[in-house]
Amino acid sequence: MLVLGIETSCDETAAALVADGRTVLSNIIANQLDLHRKYGGVVPEIAARRHTELIGYVINEALDAGGKSLSDVQAVAVTAKQGLVGSLLVGVAAAKTLSYALRVPLVGVHHIEGHIFANLLSNPEIPLPHVCLTVSGGHTLLVYVRDHCRYEKLGGTVDDAAGEAFDKIAKFLDLGFPGGPAIDRLATKGNRKAFAFPRPLLKAKSFYFSFSGLKTAIINAFKHQLAGGEKLPFEDIAASFQEAVVEVLVAKTLRAARESGVSAISVTGGVSANRRLREVFTDTGDRESIKVYFPALSLCTDNAAMIAAAGHARLRRGYADDLSLDVIPNVPLEVQHAG
Amino acid sequence: MLVLGIDTSGYANAIGVVDGERVLADFAFQTRNESLARIMLNIDSVLGENNLGLEDIGGFGVGLGPGSWTGIRIGVTVGKMLAYCTGKPVKGISTLEALAFCARDCQRLICAIVDAGARETIYAALYRSGHNGIHQVSDYYVGDLPGLAELVKEPITLVATDAQKYLSVLGQLLKSDAVEALETAPGGAVVALLAATRLESGENDDTLALAPLYLKESTARAFINKYKRRAQAVP
Repeated sequence: MLVLGIETSCDETAAALVADGRTVLSNIIANQLDLHRKYGGVVPEIAARRHTELIGYVINEALDAGGKSLSDVQAVAVTAKQGLVGSLLVGVAAAKTLSYALRVPLVGVHHIEGHIFANLLSNPEIPLPHVCLTVSGGHTLLVYVRDHCRYEKLGGTVDDAAGEAFDKIAKFLDLGFPGGPAIDRLATKGNRKAFAFPRPLLKAKSFYFSFSGLKTAIINAFKHQLAGGEKLPFEDIAASFQEAVVEVLVAKTLRAARESGVSAISVTGGVSANRRLREVFTDTGDRESIKVYFPALSLCTDNAAMIAAAGHARLRRGYADDLSLDVIPNVPLEVQHAG
Repeated sequence: MLVLGIDTSGYANAIGVVDGERVLADFAFQTRNESLARIMLNIDSVLGENNLGLEDIGGFGVGLGPGSWTGIRIGVTVGKMLAYCTGKPVKGISTLEALAFCARDCQRLICAIVDAGARETIYAALYRSGHNGIHQVSDYYVGDLPGLAELVKEPITLVATDAQKYLSVLGQLLKSDAVEALETAPGGAVVALLAATRLESGENDDTLALAPLYLKESTARAFINKYKRRAQAVP
């Protein structure tokens, strides 16, 4: 089955063609970073406007690049849950129109479910059940994946997402937006043990994370020096901050895997591209005989191939939507498969 | 040519079908917050009531706004994707022009107004009726009612969804008998009529490039631009 996937939940306008939930024929992503960079974050109204301008071109390009025409499309999958409401709406409006005009099934996908499938696209051999950590600029969520489309939440962030902390520290250090890649690069030149930043909730029994306090601790520690024009050890701050985030994410996720009795961990989302995170996860996993999987770099950040793959799985389980599909900006992943 | 018209800039999903100059259907579905959830079902029911299928439609008209920013994004996206999927042409129509067209039989200067939603701001434009339709005779206006009154030097016919709201204020600012009001909402059939005329003379828009007519920049960009202007003003 050839599925056209559409993703517009935040600031990436994306469309992709995926055959049988496995083979990516095209994966087109138009990012809007240049539009949002000067604001240091995504501006919802600007994102929604850009999606409206780009959506047709991106879908057309996905068909061209995949060597297919509209009449080849057998189903349309779209991110309908979790994201900026004005952004989600553009993708869903386009998807509904395609489904209606082409007379093919429509399926709404939860954005996080898309990320879970990004890793399954890259590594179809990931065993079930497994534990999946999704870490990005908007999300930090730890779930037990019992089966495809069956999730149980283990934990998540109580405040900032992990990627959001990267963005905010990068903004403080004036490294630009988005902050993840900038800190990753800078950290390779720094000393990870230069500063002993807090490891929030590391010792807590729950699987909840908190990154807001870590961010504030760093800003408070250096803001006077920064204001006084002092030259800060940027590399060491970046490396030590990254180490604190990585240590908490890895420790809690591995404990979740142990306590759930699974031997595989899937790490997804934009932050899963972070090199230090991959290194520590893999090394620690090896010591405990737990295999850790990461998506291909092209599937870490928001994309529509993962939405098409998730949509394919949902359709196979009979979770098609009708033309009354609407957007839901905020809904937990684990309750949404009931509908 | 059968043309399907869509306007979602106001309080309703307005959908109409015309055959050249003849109106076959004109519906306004009150949507509250369900414009997106209802839009395809609304289009399907209007076509179905008239025993039409999408394949019978020869072109599409889309109300571009100004109006609700979220609302117009729904209509514009649906309109452009319908045209893309069917390979038929599309023409975007200013919602202000669609309103003014409803007063095309008036001899007075026509003033179309749409509520801009914040701080008593309105979108407006002036039109005049001529031998082949109406013509826009002013730039688009974004501002308050007193500012609009200053632009108007003669008796007008005011056209708006909530015309009575503006009638008393404008009536006081101008002389009261200088303003008459026509209360009407952006309509699907009107958008389709205006689009049909243009599509028949080959004036279609680039389908994939079709974009809303916002008339106002987003708040964040307005803030940055204001900051820039202020910075430039300081020597």
